Amino acid sequence: MELNWSTFLLEILNFLVLVWILKRFFYKPLQEVIARRQQEIEARVAEAEKMRSDAQQLQQQYEGRQAGWENERQQAREVLQKEIKDTRARLEDELQESLQQQRQRAEVVAQRQRREQLRQLEQQAVEQGGEFAARLLQQSAGPDLESRLLALLLDSLGKVSTEQLNELREAAQKNAQVVEVASAFPLPSHQRDEIASALAELLEGQVDCHFVEAPELIAGLRIAIGAWVLGANVRDELHGFSQLESTSAND
Amino acid sequence: MNQSEIVAAVLFRLGPLEITGTVVTTWAIIAVLALASWLLSRRLQRQPGRVQTVAEGVEMAMEDAIRAVAPDHVQLLLPFVGSLWIFLVVANLSGLIPGVHSPTRDLSATAALAILVFLSVHWFGIRNQGLKRYLRHYLSPSPILLPFTLISEVTRTVALAVRLFGNIMSLEMTALLVLLVAGFLAPIPILMLHIIEALVQAYIFGMLALIYVAGGLQSQQLKEQRQENPRA
Repeated sequence: MELNWSTFLLEILNFLVLVWILKRFFYKPLQEVIARRQQEIEARVAEAEKMRSDAQQLQQQYEGRQAGWENERQQAREVLQKEIKDTRARLEDELQESLQQQRQRAEVVAQRQRREQLRQLEQQAVEQGGEFAARLLQQSAGPDLESRLLALLLDSLGKVSTEQLNELREAAQKNAQVVEVASAFPLPSHQRDEIASALAELLEGQVDCHFVEAPELIAGLRIAIGAWVLGANVRDELHGFSQLESTSAND
Repeated sequence: MNQSEIVAAVLFRLGPLEITGTVVTTWAIIAVLALASWLLSRRLQRQPGRVQTVAEGVEMAMEDAIRAVAPDHVQLLLPFVGSLWIFLVVANLSGLIPGVHSPTRDLSATAALAILVFLSVHWFGIRNQGLKRYLRHYLSPSPILLPFTLISEVTRTVALAVRLFGNIMSLEMTALLVLLVAGFLAPIPILMLHIIEALVQAYIFGMLALIYVAGGLQSQQLKEQRQENPRA
């Protein structure tokens, strides 16, 4: 183990040469390639970053535009809701008005129906009252009542106005002085004579009286001179009473 | 086992210089590395192939190792320290070639590398900090320690040279002895051990050189940082 100075010096020189060679042909080219690749990577990263920045900017623009659309849509929705609200209020008012009119119309119809029902009830009551009175008078009627009614008739013949008397006389002449006398009960002869004489005096001439029985008259007489009828019987009076009540109820 | 197995024989002379087998082997290694580097530098592409990928991996691994020790001086130290690693790996492994002796089994070669490391420590230190600032660190932390620092400078350089020489020489001697005693098949495990030992010794030599150089570069800086920030 000894030191060879020639080898020692040449090894120093050799290594320095090797350092230069490796620096020139190994480290430097490799570092340049790595640096270029690193620059390319950084450039691509920068480009990607720029693309991402652009994308974010576009996204922000899109979001802003979308927010604008949302705002416009909200405003349109508010306008539409206001229109719907106004239309609903208007339709509700119209409906209320229509309902009010229908209610008033129904009220009028109801009032009319009530009046009609009331009138019908009144008429029915009058008819029932008439029937009741007729039935009552029919049970209580008799020759005595008829005699009194005859007396009443004969008395009323004397109170006939002149105008009516003239018309009666014309009607009797047109009918050949034939007079039909209807009674509820058979008239005795003296009452028939009394009637004939009263009519003859009234009509100023001989009268041909035809006496007939009419039980529906209940009691009393009905004298027909042409188109004229002179009545003093319960049936006609009750009928007249019913007609009078119906007229007053209609009024 | 003759004398030529232990001491590199002189093959020829160039004037006053004796050209030994160690020097010739070193030239051959340098030629191979130069040719490989030249071919590689001509074929470098942006999309690297296998060889370029390996080369870039080696280069970046060395950069990372230097950055871990001296992060501010990677580009300054890479040519020297990286060349040490590459040369020592190839030189240590060259002993596996039949008939070729590793240059690092010669104490003259390892001493030359150790001297280069010793000089590089001072060269990079003075270049980086200036002569006065660099020399000032020998007096730190106390001038009393100056003799010990100087002894340390010498002994660590000698240790650097002898460690590499001793390991590689002993490896080759062991392989030779086993070959003489046990025949041709027995040295194969020894050869495997040779590979591992060659790589480990190359790494140790380069890493120690890196640490020494980085220590020379950063000694004054560390002192100034401690003065500026005592708590650090």
